[in-house]
Amino acid sequence: MLLIHCPYCNETLPELEFAYAGEAHIARPQNPSEVSDEDWAEFLFMRANVKGLHYERWRHLHGCGRFFNAVRDTVSDKFVTTYPAGAPRPALDSLLETSAEGGK
Amino acid sequence: MNALTSQSDFLAETAAVRIAMAAPRSRFSLRLRENLAPFEAALGLSLGGPLGSRASAGERETLRLGPDEWMLHTSLADAGAVEAALSALYATQPHSLVNVSAREVSFVIDGPRAAELLTLGCPRDIAKIAPGSGRRTVFDGVTVILWRDAPDAFRIDCWNSFAPHILDLLKTGARELAAEAP
Amino acid sequence: MSHYRVPGKGRVDLSRPVSFTFEGRAYTGGRGDTVASALLAHGVHLMGRSFKYHRPRGAVAAGSEEPNALIGTRRGPGRFEPNTRATVQEIYEGLQTNAQNKYPSLKFDIGAVNDAAYMLFSAGFYYKTFMWPRSFWDKVYEPFIRAAAGLGVSPTEEDPDLYASRNLHVDVLVVGAGPSGIAAAKAACAEGLSVVLVDENAEIGGTLLSEPQAVIDGAPAWDWIATELAALKAAGVKVMTRTTAIAYYHQNMIGLCEKLTDHLAQLPDDTPRERLWRVRAGQVVLAQGALEKPLVFHGNDRPGVMLAGAAQTYLNRYGVLVGKRPVVITSHDSAWFAAFDLADAGAKVQAIVDLREGVPETLLAQARARGIPVKLSHTATATKGRLRVKSLRVNPVSGGSVEAGEEISCDAVLMSGGWTPSLHLFSHTKGKLAWDEDRTTFLPDETPEDCVIAGASRGLWGIEAALNDGAEKGRAAAAALGKAGAANVYGVAQDRTGTGISMKELPTDLSAGKAKAFVDFQNDVTAKDLRLAVREGMRSIEHVKRYTTNGMATDQGKMSNINGLNIASDALGRKQPQVGLTTFRPPYTPTTFGAFAGYHRGHHFEVTRKTQIDAWAQEHGAAFEPVAQWRRAWYFPQSGESMDDAVRRECAATRASVGIFDASTLGKIEVVGPDAVEFMNRMYTNPWTKLGVGRCRYGLLCGDDGFIRDDGVIGRMGQDKFHVTTTTGGAARVLNMMEDYLQTEWPDLNVWLTSTTEEWSTIALNGPMAAKLLQPLTDVTLTEEAFPHMSCVECTVAGMPARLFRVSFTGEIGFEVNVPAPMGRKLWETLWEAGQPYGITPYGTETMHVLRAEKGYIIVGQDTDGTVTPYDAGMGWAVGKSKPDFVGKRGLARPDLVAEGRKQLVGLLTEDGSKLEEGAQIVFDAAQPVPMTMVGHVTSSYDVGTTGHPIALALVAGGHGRMGQTVYIPMPDRTIAAKITSTVFADPENSRLKIPADQGVAA
Repeated sequence: MLLIHCPYCNETLPELEFAYAGEAHIARPQNPSEVSDEDWAEFLFMRANVKGLHYERWRHLHGCGRFFNAVRDTVSDKFVTTYPAGAPRPALDSLLETSAEGGK
Repeated sequence: MNALTSQSDFLAETAAVRIAMAAPRSRFSLRLRENLAPFEAALGLSLGGPLGSRASAGERETLRLGPDEWMLHTSLADAGAVEAALSALYATQPHSLVNVSAREVSFVIDGPRAAELLTLGCPRDIAKIAPGSGRRTVFDGVTVILWRDAPDAFRIDCWNSFAPHILDLLKTGARELAAEAP
Repeated sequence: MSHYRVPGKGRVDLSRPVSFTFEGRAYTGGRGDTVASALLAHGVHLMGRSFKYHRPRGAVAAGSEEPNALIGTRRGPGRFEPNTRATVQEIYEGLQTNAQNKYPSLKFDIGAVNDAAYMLFSAGFYYKTFMWPRSFWDKVYEPFIRAAAGLGVSPTEEDPDLYASRNLHVDVLVVGAGPSGIAAAKAACAEGLSVVLVDENAEIGGTLLSEPQAVIDGAPAWDWIATELAALKAAGVKVMTRTTAIAYYHQNMIGLCEKLTDHLAQLPDDTPRERLWRVRAGQVVLAQGALEKPLVFHGNDRPGVMLAGAAQTYLNRYGVLVGKRPVVITSHDSAWFAAFDLADAGAKVQAIVDLREGVPETLLAQARARGIPVKLSHTATATKGRLRVKSLRVNPVSGGSVEAGEEISCDAVLMSGGWTPSLHLFSHTKGKLAWDEDRTTFLPDETPEDCVIAGASRGLWGIEAALNDGAEKGRAAAAALGKAGAANVYGVAQDRTGTGISMKELPTDLSAGKAKAFVDFQNDVTAKDLRLAVREGMRSIEHVKRYTTNGMATDQGKMSNINGLNIASDALGRKQPQVGLTTFRPPYTPTTFGAFAGYHRGHHFEVTRKTQIDAWAQEHGAAFEPVAQWRRAWYFPQSGESMDDAVRRECAATRASVGIFDASTLGKIEVVGPDAVEFMNRMYTNPWTKLGVGRCRYGLLCGDDGFIRDDGVIGRMGQDKFHVTTTTGGAARVLNMMEDYLQTEWPDLNVWLTSTTEEWSTIALNGPMAAKLLQPLTDVTLTEEAFPHMSCVECTVAGMPARLFRVSFTGEIGFEVNVPAPMGRKLWETLWEAGQPYGITPYGTETMHVLRAEKGYIIVGQDTDGTVTPYDAGMGWAVGKSKPDFVGKRGLARPDLVAEGRKQLVGLLTEDGSKLEEGAQIVFDAAQPVPMTMVGHVTSSYDVGTTGHPIALALVAGGHGRMGQTVYIPMPDRTIAAKITSTVFADPENSRLKIPADQGVAA
């Protein structure tokens, strides 16, 4: 049972309050009609299957209700950081350092 | 909190806790953008503060559930005034005020082990919800709004159809806690 | 008569006798006894039969690691539990227990023939034997395996006990209340830190309960325990006994199973039998101690052969001598102390046999002082005795060769192969282990969790070392939380420290191939099995484990893993760390399903949502069906009616006059804001801009892949306000999807969503008399002109504030009346009364399904399956093609979605007038060879409607272009031919939707 920091509530809370919502930073194209079939298929279906740090979305379903983004290590399962939806992707380099420090 | 209950007889009453159904109130889901001041002026109470903050003025009390979401409770008689006050703002301050009075009910829980009773269904640390604040959270798998009115007094708001399930566990817990050796 | 009870020894209160039964015979023990200790006090060693060979077995341990002494316990109907360890079950007045795996009796067991057929049952037996011939599997092998498999017997009655669960957040959790755990809790409870100390035993103390001779800071061990317990409680430490830490999950979440009533003669009211605690701890101190290893030699499983430390525990904690003439076989100093304690309590110790050449002089001196013969450099090669050990055969070992043996007569064999730190919970954390060559064992290394490990569980032997390490680790846990804990320094007199060596199976002069030298007692795995597994090609310890089942029993290899590893690594010719240890899995000890289920059983198994009208339906005899979390009225049978009868009647009555239906479970979402219409245009396939206030429209929701996700009627209640309805099951999902787009793709839109599913009770009236019935109850003029089909309005109905929709899911004149939820039943009863002149008929979901199918209206999730587009469903009319974008628009243009031959929704009419099975597969050519090419399936099928013949909906490849063609539905007994038709079976002109002019009654 993981602990998740909600960037809106600014609290670290049990996973049971949250719902997973897929990979993060997959923006819906502004003008879908102008997107090629290949690119549209890429947007719809193709997802990373990362071993290690993974950008993903969660929703604080039984809480503030907000969708937010997270970086989670798929090996340890643990969250490295969470940040509001729409915020830029945190750099992996800095995260790896944080991860190493936090990993004991 | 007895004033909030509709009757003096409790749904459950043990040495550990008492559980009652709150009297009907007007309830509104209020959604709006960042500019709080006009709404605070219209309602006569503060909407700011971190999520979980509460404010009250007269019959009205609010709990901030999300960055753009509040639960507003008031008396049945005051509902029209709330709707009128905010409706006047709509043209300049777009927002959503939805009457959800009929959607949910509230249980009032108090007693020496009220906080412990909540640990039967709440995975989060109840101790971190300060008296005078509240949270939307989960109780036994059901989304609820938890108001902490005092160290050992709470209200749980839930949708109508979930109420029997929640009450069932609250009653079981009230008996279980009372049966424990002190 | 308890001949083996030693006066003045142990903590059992014999002044409070407790009667219980084992195998139908009555026994008496004292308060504080376990079943095992009480039976041993009566000289009863035979407590069960083994799993595979049905060999007689007795208790080999004294704690939760016990693999042999598994019993069934019973106290009245439903309160039967198999596989309980006799070594942990406390006795209470009236407890009934039985041995397991015995037929016809414990002392004479027919299954023991397996023991004689030992050669057949070696490692991989199942894999090899049951392979051939193939035809034997169903009739011979599987029944045999099923009959033979399983430990104990499952209970057959419902368990009447309560089970509970609770969440607990603490600063420091200490697992294990032996010396190191007690010291850790004491050191950690500083500066207001909340500390919980748990132990699986009935009382705290751990090893101190078995070593009363120790003197801690001047206090005898047992006095010290009492003082410390009082001090811990006074300091606010929550001390939980009979509580097992069963699993260590992510981020310091630990599962505890607390047993509350299994030791009580009288079950108190409102008290659960067990409670599962989900503990989230800031820091965890693991102080679980160490487990003693058996020695592996032929006959090491005979009743009366047990761990030396267990014998010491039975004597010192329970006041029971496990034998009056014991012999000791050991490779570790600790068993010598057991021998001394037993000798001092009056036992005639036959010999101390040690595998080592040399042992400390102090031990030799103490043995001499007690007149105990000592044999060094000796091995054990066999035991004798049928149901109880009678002798131990020992042989001198010289220069690596085993010389002639002698038999030592005895009534018990105490063995010790040294100690293994208990690493189970540490292993659950994905903690790394490091091999310690000196101690021949794995020790804890790094863990990703906020966890420290103390005392014997990290290889420190002796009480003083355990206390001081526990104190230091408790202080460290407090320090990690930013508090200054205080670590005591303890001094212990009469401490017993020692060393030893770790063995593989003991050297023998007998045939190794015939040796029954057990490594895993519970799964009957021998040293020979392990070596055979390696010979047959198993290289990884994980494969050896699975091939032999070593360590896979309910004791999770507590006693067998290291011995198994030593033997496997010897057979493989590699060092233990290169072979590696298998992973310990939760739970630490077997845990009841009840504990995991907690409150979620019976009526509380899961949430059952009911509408405000549900009680009326129940009072009127409705049958119910679950729909998502809701229970919905399915049909309303009258006396003597079958389901088909009832639905046929409900359908006919609704089409003939008027039916009333509870639609409250439909999802409802209030969409409010200046951008509400823009949002609706983007979410739904339909165009919304031109929908006037007071009008409603059927909306279709797709995913961005172009497939139908949900549908429902949506009313425009105001310029900036929509009343959206969703399917019952889709309510939460649709709101989540909308929130997702709104929050993450279109955060600029000024629109907000509020679930109003439960704000409203929704009652549907359908039928030619619907308007007539409703008109007197409302101010709204219910004429075709004033309130045409697909209108909506806020009004009052029967004096209640209402949102009235004119919609139809039946093809009849229809209304949906929404009133504030708690008023639902009152409205229903008002309509019910008003409808009596029209013969109003309540109907349930089944009639709703039939009537809508007759009109070709789809049910999302039944007629669609996540791969159906609006065009496939024949609803291209609902797609706003001129909108620049909506969710699904680009998806609908994907090459696969515009391709020919897609499965499309059509009607089917069978040629023989029979009813099709929902889900049945469809083919074009019934004469083709098997396997046939399947081209679709039946999605809906009914024969109780009003059309006079069965109808069906189906998805068929290219179906829209095949009207009138015949397809085939192969069934097990025959093939049914059916003609493809339109999906509309009733009133294709929609004439019945109109309110006749002569019915219009001005309000």
